[in-house]
Order: sequence, then structure tokens, then C-alpha cells
Amino acid sequence: MSFRRLIGKLSLLVVMLLVLTSGLTIFGCRGELGAIARGWSGVAIADGALFLGSMDGKLVAINESNQDRLWPDVPFKASEQSGGFGCARAPEAVAIYGTPAVAEDLVYIAGYNGKLYAINAKTGALRWVHPREGELEPIVGGPVVALDKVYIGSSSGEIYALNAATGDREWVFETGDKIWSTPSVNGDTLYIGSFDKKLYALSVADGSKKWQFETEGAVVATPLVYDNTVYAGSFDRYLYALNAANGSLRWKFLAENWFWARPVAANGIIYAGSVDGKVYALKAENGDKVAEFDLESPVVSSLISVDGSIIAASEAGQVYSLTTGNNQKRQLVNLEEKIYAPLAASNGVIYIHSEKDVLYAVDARSGATLWSLSLKSE
Amino acid sequence: MDIGQIWDLIILSPMINILIVVSGYLFHNFGLAIIALTIIVRVVTLPLTLKQLKATKAMQELQPKLAELQKKHGKDRQKLAQEQMQLYKESGVSPAGCMLPMLVQLPIWIALFQSIIRVVAVTPEGFLNLARHLYSSWSEVFSLVPLNSKFLWLDLAIPDRLLLLPILVGGTMWLQQKMVTPKTADPRQQAQSTMMLWLMPLMFAFLTLQFPAGLALYWVVSNIISIVVQYYVTGGWGGLVLVSGRKPEGKDKTYLKRITAVEEKKVDYTEAEADIGDDVGADITERGTARKAPAGLKMIRRYSGKSKRHKRQ
Repeated sequence: MSFRRLIGKLSLLVVMLLVLTSGLTIFGCRGELGAIARGWSGVAIADGALFLGSMDGKLVAINESNQDRLWPDVPFKASEQSGGFGCARAPEAVAIYGTPAVAEDLVYIAGYNGKLYAINAKTGALRWVHPREGELEPIVGGPVVALDKVYIGSSSGEIYALNAATGDREWVFETGDKIWSTPSVNGDTLYIGSFDKKLYALSVADGSKKWQFETEGAVVATPLVYDNTVYAGSFDRYLYALNAANGSLRWKFLAENWFWARPVAANGIIYAGSVDGKVYALKAENGDKVAEFDLESPVVSSLISVDGSIIAASEAGQVYSLTTGNNQKRQLVNLEEKIYAPLAASNGVIYIHSEKDVLYAVDARSGATLWSLSLKSE
Repeated sequence: MDIGQIWDLIILSPMINILIVVSGYLFHNFGLAIIALTIIVRVVTLPLTLKQLKATKAMQELQPKLAELQKKHGKDRQKLAQEQMQLYKESGVSPAGCMLPMLVQLPIWIALFQSIIRVVAVTPEGFLNLARHLYSSWSEVFSLVPLNSKFLWLDLAIPDRLLLLPILVGGTMWLQQKMVTPKTADPRQQAQSTMMLWLMPLMFAFLTLQFPAGLALYWVVSNIISIVVQYYVTGGWGGLVLVSGRKPEGKDKTYLKRITAVEEKKVDYTEAEADIGDDVGADITERGTARKAPAGLKMIRRYSGKSKRHKRQ
């Protein structure tokens, strides 16, 4: 074979490879299909500072008043697990889904790389990382700090309780499948859902199981504890209200698609957003539907209550203020960017982290965008 | 409603929901569901596949005649095209007949491919993307998701780390390609066919290393079905048998007849080369043994009692 023909054949091979991989990527593995973990961290607010994970895998600390960085963004190293390109490619940056938690002088943040980090809130210096060697399975839920422990669930199906000051492991509880839910701690009990279709109530002291409740679908939504009742949505489309003490069912409500977002409670009403695009207002005591708000796009972002109003964001980027009295929704703003991250608010300002990695500050009353900041800028 | 939404509504969402429900009936095993749905889709599209295979076979049978035309009118492109069209017309073969059924099937393959990718969602984004395709009226679907991605030694959501699947994908694809690779008189085309025969399996084996095993499982099953269908439609192993050197008996009669005619006339070598070479070459090449053409000529040399060198001298 002549050199020229060899070059010709190699060129053809390269072109065919490019065409084929592009075709597969376009038709089957587009990033928008969710093959690549990108993350959607919410915002934690403490002492006039905003902490969140950017979509390029960094912890960002912003001064709430002037939007300056408190310290340079802290990057995290992506998992060393090999990947390819196509549908199984390893992310270039650590995806951060969980909202950071702030306690004392530390910010806790967990990544899809299976690591939990404790960062000094004043300086951005790393205090500890768990595990010190290797990594856990991908972490999707956020950490929760209560007393002297930090709690986190992992895709291995395990819930870890770590010493908040040192990162040493205190106890581990194993469920039957992946955990993507952020735990909720109320008193001496931790509530968390699992892909094994169960909601667990564990003792925060030693991780012993107090009770478990089985649903028909995976439980990804962060449970809400309100008035001695645990409210948690499931992939079986039901929102369950369970007795917080023993896990007995009080009532359940059927939506048209999954519950992913954490519900919020106000004035005896539970507001639960569903992937079916609606927010349901239900009486906390018996689950009767008070109102139904159609946001016309999946509700993945957890709702918040601000000055007596319920704020909800749809995937399509529209942010609404909901009023149950007259069963009305008022559009505050249309960001025209997808929203998955949980909402946060402070002093009448709503903080929204969009899918384009932009942080928006929106006035909760007027809906005016006070400022926006691209997190990729630094 | 844009074309993407219509696509989702009519093709993709039904396929995703069926895939999930089928897995529920098959012991909650997603691997079996992929195999079952691939078989179902192949059975549904069988009439199109048969049409395509028959058209391909007819085209292959025309290859010797096309080669003759190529040699005869190689320099006159217009005349060649006219003659080729005439030949197609007379034989009732349409070159589009090979491609059209494949093009019709293509959307179904893409939908199946997309369904598998969506159902083996790994990331939170992937799950949310799946949620929008689930039928709210089909409660069973919601209790089945997420599916168990373990099948045999595989995790269907990630590439096969044991490398067995890439070998299976490459092997079955080579086999399938080999069975239908057309023989041609044109050495350049033949070289291209040979290259394609190796390139495609190698490329897909390489892609299997990168894509979820569920998708590769679909490729393997689909290839095996193609092999079986081809075996029955084309009446055997096609190009595979020829590799082993076995000669199809029926076609040898024509070949021997021509050779005998040459032998009986004891034509001068150069005339034989000019008059018969085309036919002999075409016939031999048709049977996939292009290298034997010189052997045929050697036979002619032996009977004519002259060698090229002698002639030149």
C-alpha cells in the first residue's frame, strides 16, 4: 500500500469516526439529555455572605451587599474514575447539586466526585475533606449540620454522620439503593429518602433506625418536617404525610408526575411542586387540596416562603409568587434560563442560581432583578 | 408544536414507556427489556428489512454486468450512466431500493437508541429528562422507574469495563457486514469494501468502550438478528462462505463454459486476454476470488503454448 493511499484511508477513518460520534452525540447523547452531570447548587446565606457551588465545580463566596468575591473561588478536583466521551464521558468539572451548609466558621459542600469538603468561611481554606483517601460514590444531596455532626447521603446508599469539626466518621447507615436526597434533621431524628423507595427516620446519635416507610417509587425529595409530620414526595407521584414519631401514614396526595422538590409549609398549608408542572396547596392536617397552580413547566427547584408569600420557580425560568386566598399566581420575573437549583431568600431578596451558571438577585415583592452575576467570570 | 415535540409525542415517548413496562414484565430486568424491544422492533420492520435485503441481493447479482459496462464504457461517463440505467430498468432493480427501506427504518432505530439512553439515566439531569416522557395515565411506569441497570456482568448505564461487549459488538458487526459486502470487479471499490468491512466493526467496538452498555447490548442483539435474517433471505452465509474458498456450484457452469470455449479455440494469449479477460475476470470476481484471475490466464497460457515474454520476443 502506497503512502498516499495509507494517508487517504486514515483520513477516511478519521472522518467516519467524527461523523459517527457526532451523529450519536446529536441523536442520542446530547448534553441536554442529561448524560453529563452539571449540577445545580442552591445558595446558603450566612452573615451577609452567599455560598454556592458553581457549575464549573468551585465553591463561590459572595458578599451579599456588593457582590464581590469574599475569597478566590475554591476549585474541587473531578473524580479520577475514568470515562469516555459520548454518553459516558467523565465531567470536566465537579458537579455540585447540594446546597452548601454553613455552621460556625465552616462551609460544608459536597460534590458528584464523592467528596465532602469543610472550608473556612472567612478565608476559603480547606479545613478537612471526607474521605481523606479515595472517594465515596457520587453525592447529589446536600450536607446538613446539626449540633456537632454533619450528615450526608451518597449514591452508594449510605448515610454518613461525620464529626463537624474534624470530618471523622461517627456512624454509617446503609439503605438498599442510591441516596440523592438531602437529609432533614428535626430534634434527635434524621429523615432521608432513598432510591430503595423508602423514607427512613434515624437517630442522630448513633444512626439506629427508628422507623421506615415504604412508597412505590424512589424518594429523592428532601423531607419537610412540620408540626410533627414528615412530608415527602416520591417518584410514585404521591406526596406522603407521615407521623414523625412512628412513620404511620396520615394522608397521601397523588400528582401527575414525580415529586422532586422539597415542599414548604405556611399557615397550615403544604405547598408541593411537582415535575408535572404544578404546585399543589394542600391542607397540612388532611391533605385536602386548597389550590393548584399550573406553572406550565416542571417544578424541580424547592419552593420558599418569603414575607408570607410562596415563591416558586419553573424549569422554564419563570418565577412566581403564589397566593392561596384567591388562587392566583403572579409572575415575578421570567429569567428565560432553566432553573433547577433550590431557591433561597434573605431580607426580601430571592437568590436564584440558573442553569447557565448565573446567580440572580430578585426583589420578592416587585420581581425586579436587582443584580445578576455570572459565576464563570472568575 | 415543533418537529422535536412531534417526534417525542409520536415516537420517542411511546417507545420509552413501552421499554419500561416491558422490563416490568421481564422480571424487572432492563437488559431483557432491551433485547425484547429490539426483537419487537426488528419484527415490526421485517418487511422493510426483507425488501432492502432483496434489493441488495439483486444489486449484487448485477455486479458482473455492471462491471462489464464499466469496462466497455468506462471512458464515456454519460454512455455508462445510460447503459447502467437501462440495465437497472431491464432487471427491475432500483438502486434506491437498497437505501429507501433503510431510510424508513432509520427514525425507528434512532428512537430506540434515544429511548435506551434516556431510560438508563445516571445523572439527576438524565432522570428529569426521563420524567417528561412518562405517561401519567400509566401508573405502572412510575413504580418501575428507576430500572435496575444490572444485567449479567454489565451495568447497563456505564460502559463494559470487562471489554467483552466491545468484542461482541465488533465481532457480530463484522460477521453481518461480511455477509452482505458486495463483490465488485473494480479493485478500488473492492478495497473500499474491505476497508469498510473492518472499519465499521472497529469503530463500533471503540464506541462501545465509551457508551452505556445498554446501548451496546442493543447493537449486539440487532446485529445478531440481522445475521439470522440475512442468512435466511440471502440463502446462506454470503460473503463468509466465499472467504473459505468454497465455490458456488451453479455459477461455475458459465465460468467453465467460457473457459472451455477459449481452450477449444486455442486462442492466442493476447486475444484471449482482450476478448475473454473481461468476462472471466468479472465472473471470477463475482465469486469473490479476484486473485484467481491471473490463474485463469495462466491456464490459457498453458493451452496456447505461448508466454507473454515469448510473444514479445
